[in-house]
Amino acid sequence: MSKAIEVNNLKKSFGELQAVQGVSFSAEAGEVLSLLGPNGAGKSTTISMLSGLLTPSEGDASIMGHSISREPLLAKAALGVVPQDIALYPDLSARENLDFWGKMYGLRGGALKIRVDEVLEIIGLSDRQKDKVSTFSGGMKRRVNIGAALLHKPKVIIMDEPTVGIDPQSRRHILENVKQLNAQGMTVLYTTHYMEEAAELSNHIAIMDMGKVIAYGTHDELIRMVGEQTRIEVTLNMEAEKVLSSWRSTEGVSKIDSLDGKVTALVDDSNRVLPRLFEAASKHGVRITSVDIQEPNLETVFLHLTGRALRD
Amino acid sequence: MRILDIALKDLSQIFRDKRILLFLVAMPIVFTLFMGFAYKSGKNNDAAKDNRIPLGWVNNDANGLVSRQLFEMLSDSDSLRLVELTPNAVDESVRKGEVAGALIVPLGYSEQLSAGREAQLTLVADLNSAQGQSIFQSLRTPVTQLMSAVEIARLSAETLGKPNDASELNETFASASQSWSASDSASLVKVELAVKDNFLGDWYGDNPYNQASPGILVQFAIMSLVTSGQILVQERKSRTLQRMMSTSLRPWEIIAGHTLAMFGVVFFQIALLVVFGQLVVGVDYMNAPLGTLLISVALSLWVAAMGLLIGTLVKDDSQVVLFALLAMFILSALGGTWFPLEVSSGAFATIGKLMPSAWAMNGYQNILIRGLGLESVWLPTLALLAYALGFFVLAVWRFRKMDV
Repeated sequence: MSKAIEVNNLKKSFGELQAVQGVSFSAEAGEVLSLLGPNGAGKSTTISMLSGLLTPSEGDASIMGHSISREPLLAKAALGVVPQDIALYPDLSARENLDFWGKMYGLRGGALKIRVDEVLEIIGLSDRQKDKVSTFSGGMKRRVNIGAALLHKPKVIIMDEPTVGIDPQSRRHILENVKQLNAQGMTVLYTTHYMEEAAELSNHIAIMDMGKVIAYGTHDELIRMVGEQTRIEVTLNMEAEKVLSSWRSTEGVSKIDSLDGKVTALVDDSNRVLPRLFEAASKHGVRITSVDIQEPNLETVFLHLTGRALRD
Repeated sequence: MRILDIALKDLSQIFRDKRILLFLVAMPIVFTLFMGFAYKSGKNNDAAKDNRIPLGWVNNDANGLVSRQLFEMLSDSDSLRLVELTPNAVDESVRKGEVAGALIVPLGYSEQLSAGREAQLTLVADLNSAQGQSIFQSLRTPVTQLMSAVEIARLSAETLGKPNDASELNETFASASQSWSASDSASLVKVELAVKDNFLGDWYGDNPYNQASPGILVQFAIMSLVTSGQILVQERKSRTLQRMMSTSLRPWEIIAGHTLAMFGVVFFQIALLVVFGQLVVGVDYMNAPLGTLLISVALSLWVAAMGLLIGTLVKDDSQVVLFALLAMFILSALGGTWFPLEVSSGAFATIGKLMPSAWAMNGYQNILIRGLGLESVWLPTLALLAYALGFFVLAVWRFRKMDV
């Protein structure tokens, strides 16, 4: 299979800040590749470079064999971009928006009309096509936002956190859309900080942190990285500071992190480690109010690799 | 084609906002009426009893036949009112506006002409003003006629020396005719530039809207810098600019599309104000319709391009308003939209004449006040187009460097 997306040592600096520090990955034609990482990991900056919005400080990438530096227009022509924010004209209707963006992608006349009808069908908004986008719910706007990137039937589509801040129903609709598009042969580069989405959609996942790809593989390959470890999430009746250093040195605890009143830990055997944690908490006068034990997942992988929870 | 699509989308958005009509149409019309009324009120009405243009008359050829004849011809003029002056009083009278200009008859004028030698009258006036132009035009016909009459008389006198020679008579008549047709009336009157203190009173001729209408038109065109500058800011804010940049559109196409839209908006406003000026307040834009069109197109392009440049320089709406208002006050004041640059001091006028707004005013005034035709707007049009191109190139350059 040929590479639909190939990224080689891509770097981007903003003054002193190195937002992306030599990222490399690739996606075969027809697959879904997810970039998973917390906010500030460099996902959006990487995508902005691939979309032609930012010029790389170093390195290069290609879309369907076209270099983003040397053949930017050809690379862009093969690409559909769904930005993280809603990029639509709120005072125009859904149809007017799609008409306009279709024209920007070079569609005209009858072909444009037919394609706009198709896309309205795909995003499930045919019955609301004449309504102004400003009257839509967040989820409906997101769907039009995706639709605008599909008009020219791109070979590759980049979706930057398309499900942020929307209701479960719209989120499900969008995830189904992604699967359909992929089933039609479209290569999807999907960024998210929701590990469930990455797990559900992706053939391959690249985990990003601090501007670097820290792990790459299929979902199963990544899970295997953490071995037999279990992730536990503990809620306390007070700030974790009093007990954290004690827990950190507890036998069987390999990684531990605290955020928003919750402590996330990676442990070898939860049955043996949990009583020790309860005992240490009791000594410090801290009460554990809930415990959640999870089988290894991408969150566990991230914690294993960085010592931090993915959600921050 | 995509440039046009961007422009049409922008126009569709702009004209959906009903408030824009207030800004584009109602406000400039109200201001035009107000300013015209203000200029009218400021005008000295004492001279209204005699509407003829006062022209100083200095005759250094007091006993000359020709100069006396010229005095009689001009005294009968419907457009000129002669005011006898001494040679020393000319500059002061013109400067104070007591006379719009002065005609000086040189010593020995009649004698020189009778002898067939060249002789020239001197007109002290500012041909950039409406009255200066009117005086010059009013003088051309009587002076030409007078010169021709003198020439015929001189040739006839020579011919009469041989009264029986028919062929000589024919030759004399032919010479006189040739002399008449070959005479260059413009060269018969030498023009010296006049300097006046109180120019405003008669600058705009008999219609104060000759200043108010183009002045407000140019000023409100400049005010469109706000709308023009906001286009890019709004696109950036709605993230649609980022989406546009992710398509295969080139940066210059995006700027060109928005520029075209703003050109349409500004030109629409100018066209409305021209029609209003022509039909309601009697400003004769149709004196040179093609000239009016050319200068309006160039003005619209300049404002649109400059607005887009502002859009590439700022971060938000408030900065657009700040930049645009600053530009508007400077360009309006220095460009002569509030008052003619001719009444301002040397340095102010010199700097002002470099402004694109001054070129626009100059173009309109050539048509409205100086009564000139299409040829008079070529230079202002080209100057404005050069400014438009310069701002467009800068806007594209800045846009390419912009962090969208």
